[in-house]
Amino acid sequence: MSASQSAVRSRAEAVKVSRTFDWLILFTLFFVVLGGYHIHYMLTGGDWDFWTDWKDRRLWVTVAPIVSITFPAAVQACLWWRYRLPFGAVVCILGLLLGEWINRYLNFWGWTYFPVNFCFPSNLFPGAIVLDAVLLLTGSMTVTAVLGGMAYGLLFYPGNWPIIAPLHVPVEYNGMVMTLADLQGYHYVRTGTPEYIRMVEKGTLRTFGKDVAPVSAFFSAFVSILIYFLWHFFGQWFASTKFVEAA
Amino acid sequence: MNILKDKVAKLSFVALLITLTAAMFYTPTASAHGEKSQAAFMRMRTIHWFDLNWSKEEVAVNDTMTISGKFFVFSGWPETVDKPEISFLNIGIPGPVFIRAGSWIGGQLVPRSVSLELGETYEFKVLLKARRPGDWHVHTMLNVKGGGPIIGPGKWVTVTGSMGSFVNPITTLTGETLDLETYNLSNTYFWHALWYGLGLLWVAYWARKPLFIPRSIAVEAGKGDSLITPLDKKVTLGFAVGTILIVAVSMSSTNEKYPITVPLQAGLLRGIKSLELPAPTVAVKIEDATYRVPGRAMQMTMTITNNGDSPVRLGEFNTAGVRFMDAAVAQDETGYPDDLLAEEGLTSSDNSPIAPGQSKTIQVTASDAAWEVYRLADLIYDPDSRFAGLLFFFDAAGNRQMVTIDAPLIPTFI
Repeated sequence: MSASQSAVRSRAEAVKVSRTFDWLILFTLFFVVLGGYHIHYMLTGGDWDFWTDWKDRRLWVTVAPIVSITFPAAVQACLWWRYRLPFGAVVCILGLLLGEWINRYLNFWGWTYFPVNFCFPSNLFPGAIVLDAVLLLTGSMTVTAVLGGMAYGLLFYPGNWPIIAPLHVPVEYNGMVMTLADLQGYHYVRTGTPEYIRMVEKGTLRTFGKDVAPVSAFFSAFVSILIYFLWHFFGQWFASTKFVEAA
Repeated sequence: MNILKDKVAKLSFVALLITLTAAMFYTPTASAHGEKSQAAFMRMRTIHWFDLNWSKEEVAVNDTMTISGKFFVFSGWPETVDKPEISFLNIGIPGPVFIRAGSWIGGQLVPRSVSLELGETYEFKVLLKARRPGDWHVHTMLNVKGGGPIIGPGKWVTVTGSMGSFVNPITTLTGETLDLETYNLSNTYFWHALWYGLGLLWVAYWARKPLFIPRSIAVEAGKGDSLITPLDKKVTLGFAVGTILIVAVSMSSTNEKYPITVPLQAGLLRGIKSLELPAPTVAVKIEDATYRVPGRAMQMTMTITNNGDSPVRLGEFNTAGVRFMDAAVAQDETGYPDDLLAEEGLTSSDNSPIAPGQSKTIQVTASDAAWEVYRLADLIYDPDSRFAGLLFFFDAAGNRQMVTIDAPLIPTFI
């Protein structure tokens, strides 16, 4: 067989090789994204995602979507631009959440015995599914950035509320009002995380009374749009083949 | 010869690999908190812990114990450490082996950060409930924003029983009693599993078709749009609408199920009540202080003036949690950790009672292996070689007075 001859001898064989290649790439993509995205999110979202007593209605709502829309935007750009595949955002969140759950279960609970109900990760799926859906339905990265990015930020808090609401039930504890989440943070001692590190309920949104979560979500959604634009360029740049073409 | 050299090199390499591999099996438990590594000046010139008491040395899972005592916020707080204007009374334990069931400063519950004043003494108490069996080094600890953790003395406490039997019952303001150890766990798993399943379905819908090579060829050929079928669009619309519906319905039903929720509680607690101690009637002036490196001893020349109405004697020098005692004057009866207690570590050139109105200059030596063991001798390598501590004077009736000292320290190497 010369170098110019094909390695496959029939259409069926070509399909089989192509599918094998699909699974290899998908498997590799999944775990590369899992590793990179997980580190990125731990460094930027960090404690807001680790602990229930950081999951507040102001900063968690604002920060988590902004720092987590990064990889979905980049991977979406790559998969859509090169393959017209619209699952970039969801595959990122699948990887991230798997990595996070392994980390929380084996490390936080298995090694250091923090209860899982105190250190579970945030749910990022609703925004990611809608982000992918907007991309497919519009076929436009610009519209995806605006509508999808907006939806990504807006859906974050309501998508997590069914999980965290039970932990926001009030408790009277030795003469002070606390949420159950506050109590978890107080009970389960974190020697290296003193209370003053906790960045929650800070800010000047006091004129909105108790309804600050929607305001925070809208702000987060707006910044998510900008971050989406930026990171989708990273994705396009990484997906370019001009580097190898030159060689 | 070369063959021999190669063989020796190979065998050495194999031996090195075996040694490194064997080293992996030596994994002793790290149970303490690096307290000895913290700069000596941090421990000697920031928070002075005293009158400490660990209520139990052995405690069963679900049982409680307390650590109580006092701490003096040193007036000569070092410039290199932020002042304790935002601080948190923590507890130095290896993770949640106990739960912190309560902590108080000056009688006030302090689940949040507090503001402390220099030169004040505060009474504190921490209530711990045993959770995980083992031998744990339990330290007092104050975190200072901009200063880091300031760790105090630690004592070994044994927790017996089984962690499986640990319960953490809490009654909410809505009248529900729950176990915080497992509360909301199945709800968390349910929602995460549901959404993960939906995510998998979405990817599986696309992964059942050829993915990369054929689609790349089509896109390169300008036929990318043909890859999206009308069915794809309908399915996608279904996913999008379904997602928004699930979010809306689940949020609404959650609000019905939990109509009363409050935001996370945060904010600095000010106005913490300090301990009102009578002004000391004993005045101490440090004339000089040296640390003799080979002898592991610190020698101070001090002038003591008794302005009170009863004779007093020096009984204890406390610095960085190490207690140097003159056994003839004072003895520990609290079960203070042995490694931090030099029962006969304080000697004076003349420790006869100082009469009211009398002023006396004496030489006091604080010597013990603790200087080395607790790396307090490293003070001589600090950029600001000063030491500080608490002196305790006693009268014949056992009344105690506390005097703080703060002075330069000169090392001697011969």
